[in-house]
Amino acid sequence: MERNVRPAVRVGEPRPVLEVTDARCHVRHGDARKDIFTGLSLTLYAGQIVDLVGPSGSGKSTLMECMAQLNADADATMTLDGRSTDGFTPEQWRTQVAYVPQRPVLMGGSVAEAIRYPFTLRVRRDSSVRVPDDDTLRRALDDIGLDDVELDRSPQDLSVGQQARVCLLRTLLTGPKVLLADEVDAGLDPDNAMRAAHLLKRAADEGMAVCRVRHREPDGMATRTLELADGVLTDITGRTAAGAARTAGAANDTDTANDTDTTDTEAQA
Amino acid sequence: MSGINDVLVTGTEGAASDYPIDNWGLLVALLLVALAAVISAVLKLGVERRLLWATVRSLVQLLAMGLIISYVIQVNQWWLVFALLGVMIIAAVQITLTRGSGLPKGLVLPVFLTLLASAVLMFSVVVELIIRPQPWYAPQVVVTMVGMLLGNVVSAIAVAITRLFDDMRTRRYEIETMLAWGATPLEAAMPSITSAVRLGLIPTIAQLASSGIVLIPGMMAGQIIAGGDPVQAARYQFVVLAVISSLTALADTLIVMLVYRVAFTENHRLRTDL
Repeated sequence: MERNVRPAVRVGEPRPVLEVTDARCHVRHGDARKDIFTGLSLTLYAGQIVDLVGPSGSGKSTLMECMAQLNADADATMTLDGRSTDGFTPEQWRTQVAYVPQRPVLMGGSVAEAIRYPFTLRVRRDSSVRVPDDDTLRRALDDIGLDDVELDRSPQDLSVGQQARVCLLRTLLTGPKVLLADEVDAGLDPDNAMRAAHLLKRAADEGMAVCRVRHREPDGMATRTLELADGVLTDITGRTAAGAARTAGAANDTDTANDTDTTDTEAQA
Repeated sequence: MSGINDVLVTGTEGAASDYPIDNWGLLVALLLVALAAVISAVLKLGVERRLLWATVRSLVQLLAMGLIISYVIQVNQWWLVFALLGVMIIAAVQITLTRGSGLPKGLVLPVFLTLLASAVLMFSVVVELIIRPQPWYAPQVVVTMVGMLLGNVVSAIAVAITRLFDDMRTRRYEIETMLAWGATPLEAAMPSITSAVRLGLIPTIAQLASSGIVLIPGMMAGQIIAGGDPVQAARYQFVVLAVISSLTALADTLIVMLVYRVAFTENHRLRTDL
């Protein structure tokens, strides 16, 4: 399953958007230094959804924060559309590699204001991304099962599940190239989780590279599934969740990095 | 040179006060504090030791300051005046940092710069522009004016920086979310910055509004007791209060703008150990 070679890009193959090598994270507890992970590599392709699974505390959220250059303890060598991180300010990078945190945070007096907040930031002041008008917001909310949420409603009145979807929508509307969704369907019932999944699927179909941290059963949307456990990232695409956990545990005795770029051929076909 | 005994018995030679405080006066004041300490012990408030210690400290520190100022007045050299101001500012830095709670490291320099900037402004505006003493470095004006300013600024910025970091800790998820949208550290910290500046200013504004009605500020009271013209004393007090308020607002804003970046790393990430 694991061939440590880079795939040659062929015609018709998916286009790599975000390439991550040597992702590493250490935390300090007093004098002791603990490695959460080191030397991880992965590539996210345009139009694909990649699921990131693994036990709690294995560092899935940290890996996502690392990709969005948000975690103070984690770093990686990365390129976006072939341009290295050096070519971006952290703010520019984050508008393109957008992380949606697990905990929904909505600021502002109304749902509309909360969704438009990212558009008020300096980094978007002269950008081509259009501020969504009321009609766009209305349609987008209806799409994800929030047709009963008025635009002028206070965001604090929404349920946690509703807030999670509004947060996801807010980031999608800013049009990033890569979307990192950290368990955004955790608080949702199956119907609404499916709606959120379809929203991401549509974004991927339009060319976005999507990565999801998930704890739910597979929903058939993911092109690939990666498992992060004990500091090692393994492609478990096509295996059952239970089997994957066993195989991953047996296969990952070493602490070496493994490249998952090459293991998605079945899913591509 | 007046010795400690002179200060204790009669105050400095040539002091303007018509009603000097003798040692009995000091003793009565101390006895009243002791009474407060007894109340604290009976009610189990648990502050009696701190109260007594603070009282002794304040007596010693004030008498020492009195001695030092009378010495500086006698020597009457500009460099000695500024050396004293320097010592006062350094002490103020230490007091600010011990008064604040939950503060991260790396605040000494910004606090020092803020106190220095407000002291320089106080000196140029109040002393040289409004009071215009002869000589220009007149210690009885310069040291007291800057001292009053520092007292106010220390309280205000201790409150402001404590609130700033408290608020940023509370808003941790909000800040992380905003950074994830591409917000700069300043944009992400802005709500905490405004709330910290506002909180630091509330006591100053309250003091301005209540002065004269329920409160005759110490400086005005002192001038009147010393036999000064009450209206002139009021004008003096107003100038001092107004300028101190505006400089406190300035110092408040300055310190918060100087230190909010401490919560972020060089590459614009929120520190985990905030």
